[in-house]
Amino acid sequence: MLLQVEGLRVTYPVSRGWPVPRTSYLRAVDDVSLNVGAGEALGIVGESGCGKSTVARAILRLARADEGRVVFDGVDVTRLPLRALRKLRPRMQMIFQDPAASLSPRMRIGDALAEAIAVHGITHGGDARRLIKETLSDVGLPPEAAARYPHEFSGGQKQRIGIARALVLSPSLIIADEPVSALDVSVQAQILNLLARLQKERGIAFVFISHDLGVVRHFCDRTAVMYLGQVIEQGDTRPLFDRPAHPYTRLLRTVSPVPDPDIPVPPLAVEGEPPSPLDPPPGCRFHPRCPYAAERCRAEIPALRPTMGHLVACHFAEAIAAQEDA
Amino acid sequence: MSAAAPVPAGAAGRTYRPGRTAILIGATIMAAVLAAAVLAPVLAPHDPYAQSIATRFRPPSAEHWLGTDGFGRDTFSRILYGLRVTLLTAFASTSLALVAGTALGIMSGYYGGTLDRWISAANDLLMSFPQMVAGIIMVALLGPGVTNLILAIAITAFPAFYRMARSAALALRGRDYIDACRVLGYSDGRIMLRHILPETMDDMIVVGTLWLATAVRTESSLAFIGLGAPPPAATLGGLVREGFDNLLEYPGLAIWPSLMILLIMIGLNLIGDGLRDSNDPRASA
Repeated sequence: MLLQVEGLRVTYPVSRGWPVPRTSYLRAVDDVSLNVGAGEALGIVGESGCGKSTVARAILRLARADEGRVVFDGVDVTRLPLRALRKLRPRMQMIFQDPAASLSPRMRIGDALAEAIAVHGITHGGDARRLIKETLSDVGLPPEAAARYPHEFSGGQKQRIGIARALVLSPSLIIADEPVSALDVSVQAQILNLLARLQKERGIAFVFISHDLGVVRHFCDRTAVMYLGQVIEQGDTRPLFDRPAHPYTRLLRTVSPVPDPDIPVPPLAVEGEPPSPLDPPPGCRFHPRCPYAAERCRAEIPALRPTMGHLVACHFAEAIAAQEDA
Repeated sequence: MSAAAPVPAGAAGRTYRPGRTAILIGATIMAAVLAAAVLAPVLAPHDPYAQSIATRFRPPSAEHWLGTDGFGRDTFSRILYGLRVTLLTAFASTSLALVAGTALGIMSGYYGGTLDRWISAANDLLMSFPQMVAGIIMVALLGPGVTNLILAIAITAFPAFYRMARSAALALRGRDYIDACRVLGYSDGRIMLRHILPETMDDMIVVGTLWLATAVRTESSLAFIGLGAPPPAATLGGLVREGFDNLLEYPGLAIWPSLMILLIMIGLNLIGDGLRDSNDPRASA
């Protein structure tokens, strides 16, 4: 396994109340475990605020893990000294949601790439310039781009630059946090194709975070569905989307639009917002919105267990599936 | 890829630049003032320290353009030499405050936590004194002399730079591209120096220009209450003070150096305001 996330928990202190504020702890990520093999693409889906970006940040140690381990290629990233962490950085890179905000505005593209190359002593001089040129052309940018500033590029081009900046370090893993959601639909497809090609040609593993099921389905071998800081279903992408076992995954599938005018829009199965992660409901966290909720769901937290070919955290997964089939 | 052609660099800057006239006038004034200070030994018609009982309190004449003071020293020459000390003090103290304030401010904002709390608390303490009072306390603590004067003014100017740099670093720290730098494995020092500092420099230069004017004023005020450079050294503030003793009979002795201070203030403020206007994000693409 290239990346193993075990029992990851990330909490943020939140001060609320007046006149005497009380500190409570928001569990953004609550006991999440994931695996990514070399060259594999894992999707993480879920609605806003479910903790999927925090998982990404904790893997890269941009957020501090309170509990659990992130093991990258046998090394526990969460406890690595800073110096050693910096040495490991080139192997795990990130692509950001907002390509405009992820580039230093006052640095020419070539300089930004050259800096990354120089910091890690990958090559120098003419070799470095050649590497920059090759990488730019690999992501579909002309070599002249190196002499320009970020604001001179379109959103899709900026995202290509962000990808190029990660690529010059030859990473084995790229965490892509909503890499296409800020882009036009036509550009989205181009960037996704680029990422898919890189995955195939360079054998780069991806953790692909998105709220767009269609994009994840297109790109990822396996998918984890998150709800309120927890993984509630995980498995191979196609079976998971074709026959979801968790009621929440079913809900996600029904509300995500299908680009086919002949398929009728299904009525909304469940209304409402997810509860606040500051005050998660007891038992199954989905029970207030779940149409199948029973007494047991209100009392007992369902464990992530293997059922129907993948991992599901629902007490009644089999019963619901049987009812649907009938 | 989109069909939009990349905009050539600087195209937005060429069309319209607000604050340009102000900068031009201010820079002209300051260039003249600086030239006068640098060339004082050449321009001054007399030795600024040479006393002469015979020529006390002379009115302006061809020999003494702005007259002489109570010791018979040539006022015009003394203003030129006073300009040197005043400008040197102002530049040195502002530079010191700018460098220290920017460095500590960026570290405070970037690291946050305990370091930030302690430096910010010390800074708040410093800011709780009115600038003049802080200057007086500092001079009293450090003792007289030009070096200590520079240090004292630098300390009174420090909070402005510190706060500015800290808030800029704080805002930048949360930006994606700083996260990107960390993911790329850059050291904190590199991130602060190469990725945060350049973003704050524009603002710091504007504040620096405006505080240069304040430093000139602080120096003059301290000199006026007798805490400036010790006599017989001429500084603009010191000249005003000396002239003040005979204000009613010989008003020129206080007025001429005051006008010089005014000229410097106008010049520096024009540059500072002009730079601020031209840095306005709404004016640039």
